[in-house]
Amino acid sequence: MKGSKILLVDDEIVFTTNMSRLLVNRGYQVTAVNSGDAAVQELEKDDFDVVVLDLKMPGMDGIATLKEIKKLDLFTQTLILTGHGSIDSALDAVRLGAYDYLTKPCEIDDLVSKIECAWQKKDEHVKEEMQENVQKIIESPHSVFDLYPSKDKKK
Amino acid sequence: MNGHEIHTMTPDITLNPPEKNSYRYLFRRFTLLTVVCSIVPLLLVGWGLNIHYTYFAQTRIVNAFEEQVANHGRFIEQFLREQSTKLRLVADTHSKKDLRQPGSLMNIFETMNREQPYIMDLGVIDQLGNHLAYIGPYDLLDKVYFHEDWFKQVMQKGLYISDMFMGFRQEPHFIIAVLRREGDDQWILRATINTRVFRTLVENMRIGETGEVYLVNTQGVYQTTPRFGGSIMDQADVAVEPFKDPVSVEVFKKNNTSPFSGQVVGRYWLTHPEWMLVVKQARSETFEEMDRARFVNLVFLHLSALSILVAAIFITRYMVGIIRKRDDHAARLNNQLMQASKLASIGELSAGVAHEINNPVAIIMTERQLLLDQFQQTTIEDPAFKDQFLSSMDQIAVQSQRCKRITHNLLRFSRRTRSMIESIDLNRFVAEVVDLMERETKTSGIRLLTDLDPDLPAIQSDSSQLQQVFLNLITNAVDAHEGKPYGSIRISTRYDADARGIFLSIADTGTGIDSKHLDRIFDPFFTTKPVGKGTGLGLSICYSIIRQLKGNITVKSEPGEGTEFIIFLPLTLKEKENGESGQSGPDKTSDPSM
Repeated sequence: MKGSKILLVDDEIVFTTNMSRLLVNRGYQVTAVNSGDAAVQELEKDDFDVVVLDLKMPGMDGIATLKEIKKLDLFTQTLILTGHGSIDSALDAVRLGAYDYLTKPCEIDDLVSKIECAWQKKDEHVKEEMQENVQKIIESPHSVFDLYPSKDKKK
Repeated sequence: MNGHEIHTMTPDITLNPPEKNSYRYLFRRFTLLTVVCSIVPLLLVGWGLNIHYTYFAQTRIVNAFEEQVANHGRFIEQFLREQSTKLRLVADTHSKKDLRQPGSLMNIFETMNREQPYIMDLGVIDQLGNHLAYIGPYDLLDKVYFHEDWFKQVMQKGLYISDMFMGFRQEPHFIIAVLRREGDDQWILRATINTRVFRTLVENMRIGETGEVYLVNTQGVYQTTPRFGGSIMDQADVAVEPFKDPVSVEVFKKNNTSPFSGQVVGRYWLTHPEWMLVVKQARSETFEEMDRARFVNLVFLHLSALSILVAAIFITRYMVGIIRKRDDHAARLNNQLMQASKLASIGELSAGVAHEINNPVAIIMTERQLLLDQFQQTTIEDPAFKDQFLSSMDQIAVQSQRCKRITHNLLRFSRRTRSMIESIDLNRFVAEVVDLMERETKTSGIRLLTDLDPDLPAIQSDSSQLQQVFLNLITNAVDAHEGKPYGSIRISTRYDADARGIFLSIADTGTGIDSKHLDRIFDPFFTTKPVGKGTGLGLSICYSIIRQLKGNITVKSEPGEGTEFIIFLPLTLKEKENGESGQSGPDKTSDPSM
C-alpha cells in the first residue's frame, strides 16, 4: 500500500541507495540502514510496516537481527532478501518468524508484490488484535489500560 | 554449461589397484609360505619315519638272517658230531677181530645208513695204514694209507674229520676217522660221508631265488658245490679271515668292488672241522618286503605332499583373487571419495563465488530499474535512442538473468539448494523437456527422437533437478553435433523391475568423446569446449544431482559415432530428503520439520 513504511537493511550502500529510490518512486516511505544494529535502533525509535533484511552482513548478521526484532514484539513483518548462497539460512529465518524470502538479484516488481503481501499480513494481525481488544474492553472496560501500555505494540 | 572459461587441472590422484605383478609376487609368497609351513614338515616327518623304519626293519631282518645262519651252522656241526659219535661208538664196542669177521662191517654199515645213506663206505685200517676190512663201492682193500695226511692226523688226534680231498678214488670226498686202542694194538675206523647227501643237507636252508649256501675250508677251497659258479674243491674267490664272533652277517652295497656286491652274506665258523659256512642272498631279495613297504610309504608321502601343494596353489589363487577384488573395490571407493571430496571442496568455493556475484548483479538490476524509472519520467524525442535504450535495458536484464542462472548452477552444484521430492511421470517429463528443446535443436538440424517405455511407473524424485540434468545433457548432445549437418538425439526410458528403478538413456550421433577424456568428464571444470564456451560444470552438476537422487550416471562413447549417457533412477529414495525448492514461500513448504 502506498505510504507504507519500509526499513531497508543491507550492508551494500549502493544497493540500499538504489532500492530506496526505487521504492520511493513506487510510493513507499523508506528508511535505509547498513547494519543490523542500526536496524534495531531504528525499530526502537520508529514504527515500520515491513523490514527488508539482508542475511549476510558484517557484524550482527540477518538472523541475529531478526531475533532482536522478534524480541521487540512488533506487528512489523520481515522480508528476507538474500544472495542465493544462503537459501538454507533464508529458510531458517522463515522458521524464526520472517514472513517470506526473496533471492538476489530480484525484479523490483517481485519485491513490491512481496512487500504488499507482508503489509496485508501485518494489517490483518493489527485488525485481529484490535478486534480481540475491543471484545475484551466490552467485557471488562477497566482492562483498557493494560491492553494499550504503548501505542502500537502488542501486549 | 555456458559462461566461465576456467580450466582447472585437479590433480588426478587416483589410487590405482596394485600392479598385476605384485599379485603374482603375493601368489608366489603365499604358495611358498604354505609349502614351507606344511610340506616341509610333512616331508621331514615322513622321511624321518622312513629312515627309522628302514633301520628298524633292516636290523630285524639281519638279526633273523644271523639267527638262521647260526642255526644252520649248528645243525651241520651237530650232524658231523653225530656221525663221529656213531663211529666212536662202533669202534669202542667192537674189537678189530669182530670187525674183520665177514658180514660184521656190512651189518654196521647198513645199520648206520638205515635212516639216510649218510655214509658212502666204511673201512678198518691198522696202525700201519693197511686196509683190514672195507665196505663200499670202491675197490680199496689193498690200499695203504700210512703216508696219507689224514692217517697221520687221526693217529695223532684220535678223531679226525678231513677236508674234501680226492684220495685214491679220485673223487671229492671227506672222511671221519676214529682211533681205537686195544692194548698195544691200534686201529682206525674210517667212514666216508656221502658227498651228495651232505650237500643236500648243507643246502637245506630257505634262501630264496638268489641265495646259496656253501662251505669253504681255511684255505678258501669249496667244501660243497656252490649254487652259482664254481664247484667243489675249487678255490673260492673270497678271502677267508677268521673272525671273532662265531656268526656274522654283512650287508654289501651295490657297485662295491667286492665279489659280494649287492648281497647279504652270513658266515659261521664250524669248530670241527674248521670250515666256514657261507650263506649268501641278494640284498634286494632279503629286504624285498621292507623295500616294498618303504616304496609304498614314500609314494603315499609324496602324493600327500603333492596334494597339499595343489591345494595350496588353489587356495592361494582363490585368496589372491579375493584380495584383488577387495583392492579393486577399495580403489573404486577411493576414486568415488576423491570425486566426492573434489565436488565438496569446489562446492564450498562455488557457494562463496555465487554469493559474491549475486550482490553486484543485484545492484546492476536496481541501477537498470532506476534508469527505466527515470526514462519513463523523461520525454525523449529521438525514437532511435529510445529503442536502443530499451533494448539495452532488456539485454542487461537478460544478461543479469544469465548471471543468476550461472550462480544458480554453481549453487546447485554445491548442494546448497534443497530438493523437493515429488511423484514424477518420467515419460511426461521427458516429453516436456523435448518440447522445450525442440526449437533449439531444429535450427541445428538435429532431430529429437523418443523411445519411451509405456509401462513406466511413477518415481519419487526432484523434478527441477532432473530437468537441469536433462537440459544439460541435451545441450551437450546438441553441441556434440557441431560440424555435422544433421544428427539425432534419442531419449529412451526403460523400467527395470529387478533393479527397482528406471534406466533413461540419452544417445546422440555426435562426435563422441575421446577415450582419454572419458574418465574425467564428470570432473568439475573439465571441459573440451573452447575457452568461454563452457564452464566444465554441466556434467559435474549432473553427476552430483543424480548421486544426490540416489541414482547413477554412466557414459559410453565411440569417437566419431556418438555418445550415450545412461541414467539410473530408483523408484523411491531410501533416505527421504527434506524437500524444499528454492523460490517457494513458507506456505508451500513440504518440509515436515517446519
